[in-house]
Amino acid sequence: MPRYDPIVYKDGKRYFYRFSVHQRVQHVILFSSVLLLALTGFPLRHAEEPWAKPLYDFMGGPDIAPLIHRAAGTVLLGLFVYHTIYWIVLFIRNDLGKLKAEGRLSFRSGVKAFFSQEMIPNRKDVRDFVQLWKYLLYFTNRPPRHDKMSWREKFDYFAPYWGIPILGPAGVVLWWRDEISHIVPGIVLNAAYIMHTDEALLAVLFLFFVHWYNVHYAPEKFPAATVWLTGYLTENEMIHEHYALYVKVMIEEGLEDEIKPQHFAGQEYDW
Amino acid sequence: MNKCYSYKSVALLAAVISLFAFSGQASAGDELNCVMCHKHRGLSRIDENGEFRLFYINQELFDSGPHRRNKCKDCHTDIDRIPHKPAQKVDCAQECHIVEPSGKRNFTHKPIAETLARSAHGKLDAEGNPKLFQEDYPACKDCHDQPFYRPVSVYKGTVHPGVSERAISRCKSCHKSGDFAEDFYEHVTSRLRKTRFPTETIDVCAKCHQDPQFRKRHELDDVVTTYKQTFHGKLIALGSEKTPDCLDCHVVAGENTHLIESQTVPTSAVYKENVPATCRTEECHTRAGPNLAGFQTHVTYEREKYPMQFYMLMGFKGLMAVVLYFFLTLIFLELLRRLFPNFTFIKDKNEGEDPQQRGR
Repeated sequence: MPRYDPIVYKDGKRYFYRFSVHQRVQHVILFSSVLLLALTGFPLRHAEEPWAKPLYDFMGGPDIAPLIHRAAGTVLLGLFVYHTIYWIVLFIRNDLGKLKAEGRLSFRSGVKAFFSQEMIPNRKDVRDFVQLWKYLLYFTNRPPRHDKMSWREKFDYFAPYWGIPILGPAGVVLWWRDEISHIVPGIVLNAAYIMHTDEALLAVLFLFFVHWYNVHYAPEKFPAATVWLTGYLTENEMIHEHYALYVKVMIEEGLEDEIKPQHFAGQEYDW
Repeated sequence: MNKCYSYKSVALLAAVISLFAFSGQASAGDELNCVMCHKHRGLSRIDENGEFRLFYINQELFDSGPHRRNKCKDCHTDIDRIPHKPAQKVDCAQECHIVEPSGKRNFTHKPIAETLARSAHGKLDAEGNPKLFQEDYPACKDCHDQPFYRPVSVYKGTVHPGVSERAISRCKSCHKSGDFAEDFYEHVTSRLRKTRFPTETIDVCAKCHQDPQFRKRHELDDVVTTYKQTFHGKLIALGSEKTPDCLDCHVVAGENTHLIESQTVPTSAVYKENVPATCRTEECHTRAGPNLAGFQTHVTYEREKYPMQFYMLMGFKGLMAVVLYFFLTLIFLELLRRLFPNFTFIKDKNEGEDPQQRGR
């Protein structure tokens, strides 16, 4: 595993480490396959709309687009399995391994370690959630101070963990409908059809409105955030989105005196 | 078929189709010189029912259509003098004076009319009693209003629309006289491909089966709309010709297309026990098991008829509404908050300058 500096300097600016190359590559595979799936799936879902046929023809038409759709779906399911294994391996090696080295490994401490992983929702998320709504409704002037993963990022992260288990098996059933009809009743195909098309709409609307707001449309992000390419956050992003982590990293790196105050609404952003 | 259909639409259609019709050869059939009057584009009147009737005959269109070897009087038998009285509607089941080459008899569409009478579209029920709403049951011309004629040009492995001059030259080396070779080439090759595109077939069925009044009279579901919601319907809307249209599932493979039977008739292609065989025909779900027949094709999402689909759809819609409205509200409030970043009703007492405190 390559080591990443928590803070790097470029052109006199501070950048804070967030994603390893390994994670960034997984994200690229994830969004490429999802975009291909959406581009080859939605013209079919909305076949009666005027834009559907030109887009479907662009994606290869009735003969080719389904092949692209199935290939991309296979990649996405493969990535899903791979990422889950990757997650389990990291957990066993880092969290359980550390406990074992310290001789504290037990069922109780293992479960505790599982729930204290950075992606697992915890009590601080509830506090941050409440604090955010207080802030949005003008009951406080202090926005929440997120740790490495805010509750919204955890929601984003677990969205595929809810979407793929619904979309994936339904897609497999529709793909292998002839073979599967030897095993299950035909009405399962009706269910798979609804699961696949409606969950896909939810996933795509969520991605294109909410996730793209977070990383594209938000004023300080527009036209695009760069962390998915560089793996590093700017200092402003760090202050804005992960203030608790920012303070922790600055103190660890001996930069306590240079900690900037938390601000919001971008007074100090250069946009 | 009142309301579903009128001569006006045929006339308009004919005018549109004439734009696409290729130029034909001289008409053989006009021994009474009918086109002397009927060639005039404005030949029309308002009939007793107040409907606009156009009597113009597009010669080019007629000459490229399937009936170009018929004489006018072959079909319009009641006309015996010019000028003539209002003509009767043409009965397609009568004999015309075209001699059928296979049996040397005069040709007639009567067997087709008899098949249609036995089908779900026949006017009499199994006991021979007239069905309710007689006028809703289709006659020949209610479906066959688009005389598209699409021969295929096949030569050295390439296939494209039209008559293949190269291929026909081989016929003409023996069949020299008249247009015999051309006519039989078209007659045969037009049946080698679908004579209608699937979308046209669906539109023909939709003329009645999508009409709300018609469906109410006969207590039928909106099968056309529900069909268009299936992958079959959607792929056809996107230009696929390999996906089944109405006829592919509702006609028993190899049977006459005019014999569409109700799903309650044991010989019907969509009778419960026959559905697996229908799905498994040569081109389609060849590897399918018997359970594929349990797939519900025409799902209306009505709670009583399709409870599973209804509740699943409601569930997904509800979930979608909750997730999206929640986040869109959040985004809206957040954008609004940027305009008043420091305004607050209650000042936070913990807004200390101690950096250790900030990380809380």
